[in-house]
Amino acid sequence: MILLEVKSLSKEFGGLRALEGVSFNAKEGEILGIIGPNGAGKTTLFNLISGIYPSSAGEINFQGKSILRMKAHQISCLGIGRTFQIVRPFQNLDVETNVLVAFGHRFYPSLWKSTGPFRQPGIIKEVQTLIERGGLGPYAKQIAKNLPLGFKKRLEIARALALNPRLLLLDEPSAGLRFEESAQLMELIRQVRDQGIGVLLIEHNMQVVMDLCKRIVVLDHGSKIAEGSPEEIRSNPLVIQAYLGKEA
Amino acid sequence: MLWQQLANGIAIGSVYALISLGLTMVYGILRILHVAHAGIYALGAYVGLLSFRLVGNFWLSLVVGMAGAAVAGYVVERFLYTPLLHLPRIAPLIVSIGLFTAMEEAFRIVAGPHTLAYNARVGLGDLSIGGFHLTETQILILFVTFAVLIFLWAFLTKTRTGLAMRACAQDPETTSSFGVNVSRIIAINFLIGSAMAGAAGVLIGVYDNQVWPTMGSIPAYKALAIVVLGGLGNIPGTVLASIVVGLAETFFIGVLAIPFPRDAVAFVAMILVLMFKPYGLLGKA
Amino acid sequence: MISGYLITILIIIVIYAMLAHSLNIITGHAGQISLGHAAFFGIGAYTSAMLYTEAGFPFWISIPLAAVVAGIVGALLGIPCLRVRDDFLAITTMGINFVVEAIFLYIPFFGGAMGIGGINLPKWFGREMTKPEYFILILVVFFFLLLLDRRMGHSWIGLAWASIREDEQAAGAMGVDVVRFKVLAFILGSAIAGLAGGFYAHFLTFIMPQNFGFGQSIVVLSMVVFGGIGTRWGPIVGAIILGILPEVSRPIMEYRTLIYGVLLLGMMRFQPGGLLGSGSILSRTLQRLSITYGSKGESR
Repeated sequence: MILLEVKSLSKEFGGLRALEGVSFNAKEGEILGIIGPNGAGKTTLFNLISGIYPSSAGEINFQGKSILRMKAHQISCLGIGRTFQIVRPFQNLDVETNVLVAFGHRFYPSLWKSTGPFRQPGIIKEVQTLIERGGLGPYAKQIAKNLPLGFKKRLEIARALALNPRLLLLDEPSAGLRFEESAQLMELIRQVRDQGIGVLLIEHNMQVVMDLCKRIVVLDHGSKIAEGSPEEIRSNPLVIQAYLGKEA
Repeated sequence: MLWQQLANGIAIGSVYALISLGLTMVYGILRILHVAHAGIYALGAYVGLLSFRLVGNFWLSLVVGMAGAAVAGYVVERFLYTPLLHLPRIAPLIVSIGLFTAMEEAFRIVAGPHTLAYNARVGLGDLSIGGFHLTETQILILFVTFAVLIFLWAFLTKTRTGLAMRACAQDPETTSSFGVNVSRIIAINFLIGSAMAGAAGVLIGVYDNQVWPTMGSIPAYKALAIVVLGGLGNIPGTVLASIVVGLAETFFIGVLAIPFPRDAVAFVAMILVLMFKPYGLLGKA
Repeated sequence: MISGYLITILIIIVIYAMLAHSLNIITGHAGQISLGHAAFFGIGAYTSAMLYTEAGFPFWISIPLAAVVAGIVGALLGIPCLRVRDDFLAITTMGINFVVEAIFLYIPFFGGAMGIGGINLPKWFGREMTKPEYFILILVVFFFLLLLDRRMGHSWIGLAWASIREDEQAAGAMGVDVVRFKVLAFILGSAIAGLAGGFYAHFLTFIMPQNFGFGQSIVVLSMVVFGGIGTRWGPIVGAIILGILPEVSRPIMEYRTLIYGVLLLGMMRFQPGGLLGSGSILSRTLQRLSITYGSKGESR
């Protein structure tokens, strides 16, 4: 089942074309890899989908509805969660509270409901389950800024999952992590996929991408240059050129 | 009669431009609302007046006023703003407000609460053509502003430093990766902007023949309104907005005689424009 | 008997504490800077004063209305301002302050430069309240405001505010309608400032436009910054200290404005968290003290 349709998406910043005519689909229960050299426009793509920037042209449809003109909070309430390239949990709040913020998306739209206390037993229970599944059980009361990087990343994912998303946008989750931490995080992402949630994964770590993704989209200089299975991508001359060209 | 008001409006608008340009330049490069800029404007007037009392020459007092303001601007940037750049923007803003408040009080304590006279004369005499009358000081204002704007334009478009400054305002990180000493650029930015504010202080001091401790209060918020009106960080926009406000003030009060506080015109103009163009007259997202 | 002078000081301090607290809601919870907060103080004061003197409304009705009117004006001004960039709010609130003061000063309906007089202390039990009774009244009201604040802190609204303060963009991505919650903080802060204004008017018995200008906004901001933006007790402590000091020391009274300016400057430059903020000298000292004396057997 197709969750996300991106059609001819473009974004201009001043005179700079960050994205040009990008089209692809994302399905539920699938991890779609988004790769490309630095500056290809991958994070911009995420920012457009999640509503942080307005698009210049094109369409973005989520579960059949256009989300092009929606604000970030509306999009997250609809069921798209995300993490950030440079990890940014709510630094001075503890892990539990971080997840609670996202959990509140069911209450925020109603002013009246928002006046209720957030520390309810039922809610805390659900939040604790999310925290446990993220492998953060013993750290529930730790202040976010004191966590090591790997746990901050898990926190970001747990927080996004509190939105009860159908689609999860993960921006370079393995960046800065050691091999074992990275492997553990990948396992977490697989579990998310197995729950039927669709995942868009930006990654630079080729190992991770080839392992996790059955389908990959390649961006370069704002355009899609290839789409296919890991084998197809690996042997695609355009892709090799794009990466080599950058290194040269 | 209409031409007279036009001339008056442009003269006033020119001084507003001198003050507001420094403000917009600082915002463009540091993203800080430099409220204390108005304090530097008043400092220029006081320093200019002091030197005028000692030497008796207008041009010299203008230069000294500009120099004093420039130095003050540099000190503020080095010791107050730059150390706080890592904090949320509310911090340098509050520092700026505190500084401005303290400066006005310092003027009051040191120079006295009364209005001081700044009656500098250049010997030009007034200009009268038909029913059209420009006082000597208005001529000076137009001349100095014109000269400063030409200099600024030439500097920003023709020199390497000026180019670097414009690049910094767009994207400081990329610019520094090109080998540009960003902190030097910031310092120059403040020096120029503050000197212009100092010039405005001297010019207004002479125009009104008045220098007093709180002379910066109205320009403080008015310059901010102008800068927002023109588009934060946008230099041509600020010049345009300054002239617009100068003309609006003169026409609404002088010609149409609407019983509206003159100083609120800038603010109202800002609100009106923001409703249709949220980033100012010439501003971009 | 408690001296009349002391009671006057205490009442003024509670009013300032209320004002500082209301600014803290805007600045601390929503991370927005309001540089014209005295405008809402003034709107509340003038509303209450005019309802009382012109329309004959009793205190018990004019005061809540003062809060409501200030809140409505806050909504009208806040909604367009908060939708645009952050920096705009600082400038716009500054401008609002000037414009509101100008309106009170120049439009004859509001009494002009002479202001409004003849505003009395409230009546109850058939007689006018005494000052000590007024003090108790506003203290009780303030207490309820603090309870309300505590309750909000535990609600989803408080959580949304905390997330906005931490990281606006991330908050948006987590389902928080940032603009809406900022406006809410602005309205609440303005309304409470209006309430304080009403209490002020009925206590002072006459009000003038100069009481509500930019200078007054600086005073309130200093209290909040000095005590600690965003902390629960900081602004109140700031109001108490900065309220008392000028009264007990002549030189401080003389140079009050200069001191406020230097305070804002100095605090933000060296102790941005304020007196009670985390990382401040005071709170670190207190922490060290509590480690030594507070926890049993676990100290160093």
